[in-house]
Amino acid sequence: MISREYEFHAPKTLNEALSLLEKSGGNAKLIAGGMSLVPMMTLGLAHPDAVISLNKVPGLDGVKEDGGVLAIGAMTRHHVLKTNPLIAQHAPLLAEAAKYVGDVQVRHRGTLGGVLVHADPAADYLPVCLALGAQIKLQSAKGVRTVEARDFFKDIMTTSIEDGEILVEVRVPKLPAGSGSSYQRLHRVEGNYAIVNAAAVVEPGKKKGRVALGGVGPTPVMIDVSAHIASGVSDDALRRVSDAAFAAAENAYGDLNGDAKYKQAMARVYAQRVVRAAAAQAQ
Amino acid sequence: MKKTIQITVNGKSYSRDADTRQVLADFLRDELRLTGTHIGCGTGSCGACTVVLDGRTVKSCCILAADVDGQEITTIEGISTGAQQLHPIQEAFVEFQGLQCGYCTPGMVLSAMQLLKENPNPSEDEIRHGISGNLCRCTGYHFIVKSIQEAAKRLQASK
Ligand SMILES: Cc1cc2nc3c(=O)[nH]c(=O)nc-3n(C[C@H](O)[C@H](O)[C@H](O)COP(=O)(O)OP(=O)(O)OC[C@H]3O[C@@H](n4cnc5c(N)ncnc54)[C@H](O)[C@@H]3O)c2cc1C
Ligand code: FES
Ligand code: FES
Repeated sequence: MISREYEFHAPKTLNEALSLLEKSGGNAKLIAGGMSLVPMMTLGLAHPDAVISLNKVPGLDGVKEDGGVLAIGAMTRHHVLKTNPLIAQHAPLLAEAAKYVGDVQVRHRGTLGGVLVHADPAADYLPVCLALGAQIKLQSAKGVRTVEARDFFKDIMTTSIEDGEILVEVRVPKLPAGSGSSYQRLHRVEGNYAIVNAAAVVEPGKKKGRVALGGVGPTPVMIDVSAHIASGVSDDALRRVSDAAFAAAENAYGDLNGDAKYKQAMARVYAQRVVRAAAAQAQ
Repeated sequence: MKKTIQITVNGKSYSRDADTRQVLADFLRDELRLTGTHIGCGTGSCGACTVVLDGRTVKSCCILAADVDGQEITTIEGISTGAQQLHPIQEAFVEFQGLQCGYCTPGMVLSAMQLLKENPNPSEDEIRHGISGNLCRCTGYHFIVKSIQEAAKRLQASK
């Protein structure tokens, strides 16, 4: 039992959710899968005055094609991302990342939007969304705004979402045919967050590419590796990618998994691995 | 704060006032007296509280009872056909020593059931992935894996 009292609302429409959120004036929490929020409330680390559930709001989940973009509802659960055919075809990095999130039960309940707003620095979708050039659609009673994933994450567990806003959709540009992509992560125990994770996209022709890294600082970081791979993905090119990853991981911090230096070193290793794998796939 | 919720648990419908601070695991244990759902960590890590929600296993310590209004739940009490009857997965756990203290067992059995529903003939590796959300502090997992392998064989044979 959670010790502190709060109001609970289960709105049946998005508008109702938005107006409840607006009325609550700041100390309300939205609940999606609850996989991060409920443990925090149980432990007394989060103590909202009101909890507003998105679980009964229709239209917030599922994957749709919208021209060159996949429009993924914020309430889409991990197991759907892992198995959805549109994701497999147009954004395989997301499916690859979803496989690693927690365990079977966590994947049945946790959501894409929940991960992005919770913004654990080593969460699986963070570097993936950066590398894919995803946009995050936020709605409030006042209207809609869209933020680039690379501008969304501000600090450890802090994003640019504002009071009164609901993350409603993640818009992921379809990868062009002939692209290569790879997601890999360092972890010691299955079902735990990564220590360091990395996602790469190499564009068709193998001249342009980018790598995003997570777990190596308060927010995910992205590197454009085009200049390094333009004349081929050689050992030399990968060495330059590795140096760039090391520099980008300058804000890595130590925790129980390892010290800052170790994580910076792992940034090198994983950046190289994902670029090599993505380039091998690209045409 | 109280909220009236209507839920179906093991085929039976209930309408109850749930304290909105109650997680589903507490509600099942304290209100419905279905104490087969265990609470180990209470924070999503151990899987002892696993139940089936609308056909999929979830950790009931991380879900608010008030948030499952109108939904359908199966707990360990609901998987066998009668009071004196065990489900074939439970039988295999008994025969192949898939448990010692039994604390993790309800969750293990439900995770095994979910796995075998999706993948009736899993490899050892797939079994280990399938139960990776369930911690066991006693068995070392080996006999749990054996029990699930045996249950898979029996369920296949009975089809
Ligand atoms: C045992 C375990 C292992 C895990 N392992 C991993 C892992 O390996 N990798 C990984 O990435 N994650 C992992 N997680 C976290 C998991 O992915 C959660 O699903 C996720 O962090 C939160 O998603 P949720 O839908 O459960 O959100 P909730 O817990 O409901 O909410 C989290 C936060 O996001 C806010 N929020 C949720 N949805 C919205 C929305 N649409 N708009 C605005 N705000 C919103 C909430 O207010 C809250 O602050 C793990 C969790 C557990 C319990
Ligand atoms: S009690 Fe729910 S996961 Fe441990
Ligand atoms: S049998 Fe004791 S925890 Fe698994």
